[in-house]
Amino acid sequence: MPKKIEVTNNIRKLRFFANEMTQQELAEKAGASRQTIIAIEAGKYSPSLELAFRIADVFGVQINEVFDHKILE
Amino acid sequence: MSYQEKRTITTIVTGLLVLAAYCLYAFNPVRLSALTPGDLKPWSVTMLIFIGIGVGASIIIQIVFHILMSISIAIKEKMRNMECEDKEIEKTIGVEMIEDERDKLIELKASKVGFGIAGGGFLLALVAIVLKYSPVVMLNILFLTMSLGSIIEGFVQLVFYRRGVWHA
Repeated sequence: MPKKIEVTNNIRKLRFFANEMTQQELAEKAGASRQTIIAIEAGKYSPSLELAFRIADVFGVQINEVFDHKILE
Repeated sequence: MSYQEKRTITTIVTGLLVLAAYCLYAFNPVRLSALTPGDLKPWSVTMLIFIGIGVGASIIIQIVFHILMSISIAIKEKMRNMECEDKEIEKTIGVEMIEDERDKLIELKASKVGFGIAGGGFLLALVAIVLKYSPVVMLNILFLTMSLGSIIEGFVQLVFYRRGVWHA
């Protein structure tokens, strides 16, 4: 059975370095709802690959700079 | 609480009200005593009427809710920034009310639960027939489990909105 993984993210940090971009601004630019951005930041939702790429594009970074993963024991 | 959560709550409340109205009307002792045992027609008519009422009420309540939410968001935006333009308010309303992939995933996962309950109701209805209960009982089990399934689906959606949702 494959091990479970937890997707982590650096969105809060990236927003801070993007002139303290608000969650609403990020939501608008990434084409998601503000609630979804809040859920992703809080680790309560793992976005689709498409949305993950759109979020990375908003910050102008590679996807692995936004999202990472941890293997759960 | 997000727009989607509030919308889900209004759907649950609508479903509960319609279900309560059906139970009060259909199981009224005066009405029951006037019915011929085993006659399915009055039950079918009642259920069709209540399905119609449920669909109609749900559409009207959702429209009213959408209008009220838009007004409330517009007022909040105006209070936050008196000089904001209508376009900005429209954009905020759009961002608050947008339905994205997370909402669709939550709907999908919750609908599995709703269909599961309706499916369980179908099995229960078949068991009722096997145990020689009246077809009226079977019809009511089908109707009530479908209604309950849709209400519980709403509660499951709320749980997913609160606790989070993941693929697979």
